[in-house]
Amino acid sequence: MDWSLIIENSIKGFIGINAVYFAVAAIGLNVQFGFTGLLNFGQAGFMACGAYGLGMTAHYFGISMWWGIPIGIGFSVLLGFLMGIPTLRLRADYLAIVTIASAEIIRLVVRSVKFKTYFGGSDGINGFSDPFRKIGDDIGIVQANQYGFWPLRFTGRELWTLVVGWVVVAIVAYFVYLLMKSPWGRVLKAIREDEDAVRSLGKSVFSYKMQSLILGGAIGTMSGMIFALDRGSVQPDNYSRDVTFYILTALVLGGVAKVSGSIVGPMIFWGIFTFMDNFLRQVAKDPVHLGNFTIMKSTQVGQLNYMLIGLTLILLMVYRPQGVFGNRKEMAFDGH
Amino acid sequence: MLFLAIGAVLSFSLGSAHASDDGYSIRVQVRQQQRDEAGKTDNQPIPSVTVFVTGTDGVEIGRLVTDAAGIAIFELPHKGDYTVTIDESTLPDGQKLDAGTSSSQNLLSDSFVTKTKVVNFFTGGSQSVSQSLFERVTQRLVDGVRLGLILAMCSVGLSLIFGTTGLTNFAHGEMVTFGGLAAFVLNISGLSFLGFLSFIPGIRPDGTFHILWAAPIGIVLGGGFGWALNYAIFGRLRKRGVGLVTQMVLTVGLSILLRNFFLSRFEGRTRPYAEFTLQRAMEFGPISITARDLIVSILSLIILVSVALALRFTRLGKATRAVSDNPDLASATGIDSEKVIRLVWILGGALAAAGGIFRGLDEQVSFDMGGRLLFLLFASITLGGLGSAFGALMGGFVVGIMVEVASLVVPTELKATPALLVLILVLLLRPQGILGRAQRVG
Repeated sequence: MDWSLIIENSIKGFIGINAVYFAVAAIGLNVQFGFTGLLNFGQAGFMACGAYGLGMTAHYFGISMWWGIPIGIGFSVLLGFLMGIPTLRLRADYLAIVTIASAEIIRLVVRSVKFKTYFGGSDGINGFSDPFRKIGDDIGIVQANQYGFWPLRFTGRELWTLVVGWVVVAIVAYFVYLLMKSPWGRVLKAIREDEDAVRSLGKSVFSYKMQSLILGGAIGTMSGMIFALDRGSVQPDNYSRDVTFYILTALVLGGVAKVSGSIVGPMIFWGIFTFMDNFLRQVAKDPVHLGNFTIMKSTQVGQLNYMLIGLTLILLMVYRPQGVFGNRKEMAFDGH
Repeated sequence: MLFLAIGAVLSFSLGSAHASDDGYSIRVQVRQQQRDEAGKTDNQPIPSVTVFVTGTDGVEIGRLVTDAAGIAIFELPHKGDYTVTIDESTLPDGQKLDAGTSSSQNLLSDSFVTKTKVVNFFTGGSQSVSQSLFERVTQRLVDGVRLGLILAMCSVGLSLIFGTTGLTNFAHGEMVTFGGLAAFVLNISGLSFLGFLSFIPGIRPDGTFHILWAAPIGIVLGGGFGWALNYAIFGRLRKRGVGLVTQMVLTVGLSILLRNFFLSRFEGRTRPYAEFTLQRAMEFGPISITARDLIVSILSLIILVSVALALRFTRLGKATRAVSDNPDLASATGIDSEKVIRLVWILGGALAAAGGIFRGLDEQVSFDMGGRLLFLLFASITLGGLGSAFGALMGGFVVGIMVEVASLVVPTELKATPALLVLILVLLLRPQGILGRAQRVG
């Protein structure tokens, strides 16, 4: 067993690009779920807006990549209205149903042969991130170079997206933190606690919910952009239903209704996930048997890991629904 | 006891993955011919095209829809001569088979150099479609009714669970898959310790069951699975007063857990049941349907009608609807609502399992067969009215027909999109659904 490799990979998982884009998406989801009590199960759809916003600039619109940022945000605002208008006046479940459905439809549309000219079909869109990479090279983080020391060794390519990613996380987190302390944020929390009370104070609950949905979605869009820039490509299957669910798990792990929770959660999530993945892969080099019952083959490691994610979410919900670092009093979207 | 039975089914799925690995198979690839800017071939896979394989006697061996990679794999009963045919009406709009490709290709026994024979279909430019509009519409309607029956069956449980407990169960799709796979385990992998039952017709010495046994047992196990979920998880949470949103997020975790468990045990391929794969399509005027599909449809209809009658006229059925309408009022009138909820989970699980098995007969089984239906199920129960069993029946039927008929207009790969449209329109115009009762929210 190669422990140095396992440790190195786990630490890289802990602070790596996956943790970054999950953290940004989780901050957005936290605005909706943790602070306002909105059940957005389609965060992957918002992320796809950002990723395809970037990808389409070069692929379809033929303009500079940077225009993709406003275009992606524009997409996500549209999507927010599409999801919000029919559902935000109704029970919480309807939003969950519509968001999960919309995100799935977005994935089907962008991967379809019919709309291949716009979205590149199942292959997605590649090779649009050069302007972003060039800035990295210009300020001295050269793509091909190696940086750091064990256990933190990165190529310049990885390091540049990581630096940018964590800066975005910090800015977004601070922004949301301030917002939630503001009167506007307090209204959101009040909606989560008791919608009718807020309504009786003359606030338009619908409008606040819509603002929260769109703000959270726009932050999710940024997460999609970070991921797309890191990969240098956009692929429809990276925005499946499961991605939303894993982000939700990471968020709940860290603790809902706390900005710090939505950063720590994804870090722990990916730290543990990468560790388990590396560890089990080494264990399962030979199939593990108990009698003649095969417990684990190397091909099953991935699924076993995802099963553990599901189990974690179940156990969290049963024993600690506010998350590891959450505050029970803030977990009030159930009216308890 | 039921836990044991379910555990046995799940653990003995091991090795099932290789049950048919030594057999012969045909790999059909459907591609659109294209060239990139440099003039090199850059063929694109075409998903969602129906292809079927027939034996020398014209009997259909299997009918599949190509996956995202434009590929469909048929497991063959034995080496022999076969004909592979592509249903041209299911090609995306404006696509037609290349002039050099016939819609039927004959394979001779000798051409199986390896165990897998590859058959390619290429499409070229755009031309008109051969079938008449009337024929296409009626065929889609028939397909829609078949899908609608399955959706109706699966969504009754989802809607009743919502009605009686308020829970939106995101793991309901996995309950559908459970049924399909439980029957598959009994039918293909077999439970060898039950081999001693082989004196009963339909049970073989290696512990595999004929589908006519496997299907009802699968349905019973599905009911048991529903019971077990309620007993082990949701009943306890209700007793502790855990909130609905927490429970709903828990079902998400359950869905991830179960789906990946199925994937790890059954792998990603889709596979057929052992029986009723050899079917010759019968022609009724413009409609062609295999005897299997006809029987499955009639059976689903019988199950649905009996469920509806039971809900309408039996004591327990009335109690169920009472709890679903207003749990507090129902408790006040002396109805044991926990008992009703238990019944609803069992019924919901059994119906979902039946839906899964019938879907499996229709389109083969895979680890995410139910997960892919989930969104259509939500559309069905929203359309019918959340919490209403009759609404779910009707909603499932309407959504099924609509999705299939829509594929005349939209590309087949996007045929689920109209369901989202309906979902949004219903919520905008009549959020309580067709049969739901309006209540003031906000």
